[in-house]
Amino acid sequence: MSIKIAVIQFPGANCDLDTVHVLNNVINVEADLVWHNHFKETHYDSVILPGGFAFGDYLRAGIIAAHSPAIDQAKIMLKDGRPVIGICNGFQILTEAQFLPGALLQNDCLKFVCKWVNLKVENNTTALTNQMKIDDVLAIPIAHGEGRYYTDNMKELEDNNQIVFRYSTEQGELTQEANPNGSLANIAGICNLEQNCIGLMPHPERASETILSPKSTDHGKLFFNSMIEFIKRRIS
Amino acid sequence: MTKVSINGEEANIEMTNEEFEKVKNLLNREPNITELGMFDVMWSEHCSYKSSRPKLKLFEDAEANYNYVLAGPGQDAGVIDIGDGYALAFRIESHNHPSAIEPYHGAATGIGGIIRDILCMGVRPIALLDPLRFGHLKDNPHSQWLFKYVVKGIADYGNCTGIPTIGGEVEFDDSFESNCLVNVACIGLGAIEDFKHAPSRAYNPGDYVVLMGGSTGRDGIHGVTFASRTLTEMSEADRPAVQIGDPFTKKMIIEATLEAVKTGFIRGLKDLGGGGLTCATSELTGDGNTGADIDLRKIFTREPGMNSYEIMLSESQERMAFIVKPGGLETVLDIFKKFEMSFAVIGRTNDSKVLKIFDDNNLVVNIPSKALSKSPTFKRQEKRPSYLDRLIAQKTPKPSLGLKHIIYKLIASENICSKEWIYRQYDHEVGVRSVVKCGDGDSGVLRIIGTDKFISASVGVNSKHCFLDPYEGAKGGLVEVCGNVIANGAKPMAMVNCCNFGNPEIPESFWYFSKSVEGMNDFCRNLRIPIVGGNVSFYNEDEVKKTAIKATPIIMMVGLIEGEENIITLPFKKVGNDILLIGETKAELGGSEYHSVIYNLEGGTPPKVDESKIKATWDFLFELYKRKFIKANHDVNKGGIIVSIIEMCFRNNLGAFLDFSGTINQELRDDEFLFSESVGRFIIETDPEDYESILEISKQFSLDIKKVGVLNVNPEINVKGLKSQSFKLNVEKMKNLFDSTIPNLMEI
Repeated sequence: MSIKIAVIQFPGANCDLDTVHVLNNVINVEADLVWHNHFKETHYDSVILPGGFAFGDYLRAGIIAAHSPAIDQAKIMLKDGRPVIGICNGFQILTEAQFLPGALLQNDCLKFVCKWVNLKVENNTTALTNQMKIDDVLAIPIAHGEGRYYTDNMKELEDNNQIVFRYSTEQGELTQEANPNGSLANIAGICNLEQNCIGLMPHPERASETILSPKSTDHGKLFFNSMIEFIKRRIS
Repeated sequence: MTKVSINGEEANIEMTNEEFEKVKNLLNREPNITELGMFDVMWSEHCSYKSSRPKLKLFEDAEANYNYVLAGPGQDAGVIDIGDGYALAFRIESHNHPSAIEPYHGAATGIGGIIRDILCMGVRPIALLDPLRFGHLKDNPHSQWLFKYVVKGIADYGNCTGIPTIGGEVEFDDSFESNCLVNVACIGLGAIEDFKHAPSRAYNPGDYVVLMGGSTGRDGIHGVTFASRTLTEMSEADRPAVQIGDPFTKKMIIEATLEAVKTGFIRGLKDLGGGGLTCATSELTGDGNTGADIDLRKIFTREPGMNSYEIMLSESQERMAFIVKPGGLETVLDIFKKFEMSFAVIGRTNDSKVLKIFDDNNLVVNIPSKALSKSPTFKRQEKRPSYLDRLIAQKTPKPSLGLKHIIYKLIASENICSKEWIYRQYDHEVGVRSVVKCGDGDSGVLRIIGTDKFISASVGVNSKHCFLDPYEGAKGGLVEVCGNVIANGAKPMAMVNCCNFGNPEIPESFWYFSKSVEGMNDFCRNLRIPIVGGNVSFYNEDEVKKTAIKATPIIMMVGLIEGEENIITLPFKKVGNDILLIGETKAELGGSEYHSVIYNLEGGTPPKVDESKIKATWDFLFELYKRKFIKANHDVNKGGIIVSIIEMCFRNNLGAFLDFSGTINQELRDDEFLFSESVGRFIIETDPEDYESILEISKQFSLDIKKVGVLNVNPEINVKGLKSQSFKLNVEKMKNLFDSTIPNLMEI
């Protein structure tokens, strides 16, 4: 059975084509760009909400997209255990849709930040990290103005092992300098209790080809390969 | 501005009496107020190039003389064929006056406008670059305000539309304090077929005219006439002439337009920018040799009660006009519906060669399609400013500081320091094409996915050099931007320019423009570089202070690299490798950063360009590339050779042993040698094993190359072989100074 992934094109999404490119040409898996109103979950093994500025991020980042019919479809996938992944703006949409707890606030520097950071893997059993090792440090870029993760229920997140990634130094230390946006406890990505829904601010689709990486790495592939592995295990 | 009244209706116009007479002759009657407004806008300096056109005729016909040029000057963007079926479109434009009044929206709508220009060539915008000029930031809240919000305007608009800002350039100088410069450049990529589908002409009678995108409001009326005079204290009152951008709508327009072009049903495409609907409808029909009947009341307006004058002159953002084949109307409109874009079928083309605009059933505009483009031209007077001789004669004082302290000061100066504070705010990676990123090279390098080709782009010119000698300065700007793309391994392919000058009615200001155009023309003809487009922004003056900006003919260069292995980057890479200097250093400190930072001097002898030497240097570098001899390359620019070497040490935290004893010319002083901004020089890193072969090759090109040092593992630069004492520079300390200057000035 061939695997098929949907990348949702919200109006204003802008990493949609990049994500489809990596899935099709780097990971070599079938991925469709699907206009948000046309999305039907029945055709797909996984859905990715890509980065960008869905609906211009007007009102609040992700809030309008969270009410798109695509989110109702994604909810069906969420419930039956298929991977639902939100990258950057997609993460913002997932918190607004309450698939994931917490919120993403404006960066503490009050500016948009585009740079390569280091990401420490905290949980390697999720749909996006099963090909990684705990404490792996990955090179990956961020590009956002509102990526400061905040939650009132830090203890719950920690107790349930829902913190998937934290910003760190190259050596894996969780310092303030390594935190590019002021996120609580350096959090860069989290998952739901079932570990099939993951949201993260960094962009794995920008880190999947050595030619794009300042360190000639392709750590982004680990994210997508994990997703494929998760789907294979689920359907077998 | 003069107030005119026709049949009881009043309007403010800029037109001269002579021009008004010409309008009457073209129409064989008096125009009504709407028609007069349309002529006034189309004949503004901004739209008609009436002062610059006679001079711009010097440029050769790029389309005729270069087989890979698909579209040259006069089109919305220059287009070149880069092989493998791909077309590359690019253009640069100014948005100076709006940004000086309202920096955030002025800069944002500048980006919006340049994106539309590229889009209407039928290709996807894939990169932005922004050359900027401001007053000094230190102790100047006004300059800081302009700088902060121009950068934010570019970032917010560019980031939201998903187009990476891959490069730019900024200079700080007092002459730009009230009249900052915001130039915006965009590159588009598409299939040659798609480019051919969408000419900016309505050449077929019977096609539909469809307006798509944002609604038409009262904003931006007279935006172009506002850009065609100098800024005064009254300009605060012009703030409503600055449009408001909506990047989200722009993103939708990009996607909807590209999908519509793919259908093959679009026969013509034009963006609504300066001059709004007037410019779009008249140029589509005028250039297409057709006419059209347009129904004004079909146009969706932002507020009720807008009259025909306001609708025709509105410069509301985010609008595109499509010429659609009759059989494809439904398909195209369905695409617009999918993207939830507003649209209206506002008229049809015909073979009358007359543009008729109806307001309900009343004919309110009845103008021959080509009449609006028949603006008169003006022969402007030019005169070399009398102050130049005195300035150029200025001598470099005897240094009061040690060379080491001068270098630390230069590294931390506004024009040399890191521009990371700016580019961190720009999403420069979206699109997954950015291979050489901001800060890693002299130019931005993008891959063309699906091929083994890469494009390189750079923008710039040195305004201080142009101030002292606009002819050599413009040539020097070309040497610099060509040097930037060559340093990354690219062959220069074509250039566009954006000429920023003062009031053309003042002979001294027009002289700067005239000499700059001559410089660009001579250089490009000699080195066989096609000029495929340009933009002119005059009236960049401060009327209160009675000063013009320093002449700034910004040049954008696009280059091509074949093969990933041929991409070269800036940072030094390996301990033990040689550092070589290519090119001759002369006592050319006029307009240098050394003069301005250390002595607050504007004058001195500015650099001169020797085209045959430049050509030989480029050919030599490509020969070394072919042999894989070059590990790192950086052109020598502001601050001179020492600054270039220091910048190359930063990334990998390396040091160097520099020995200039065999290099420094006996007639040169140490400071002249280290800080001269002579153009056309490069610093390269090579393997010592290749040194003899490199020397051999240099003889074939009759070039003088010098080994000036060796890379060292300690982050320390040891300098000896000068006439004065040896000294050591601490690389980490310099990196700190380099990185912290702008944050320290901006983050209070």
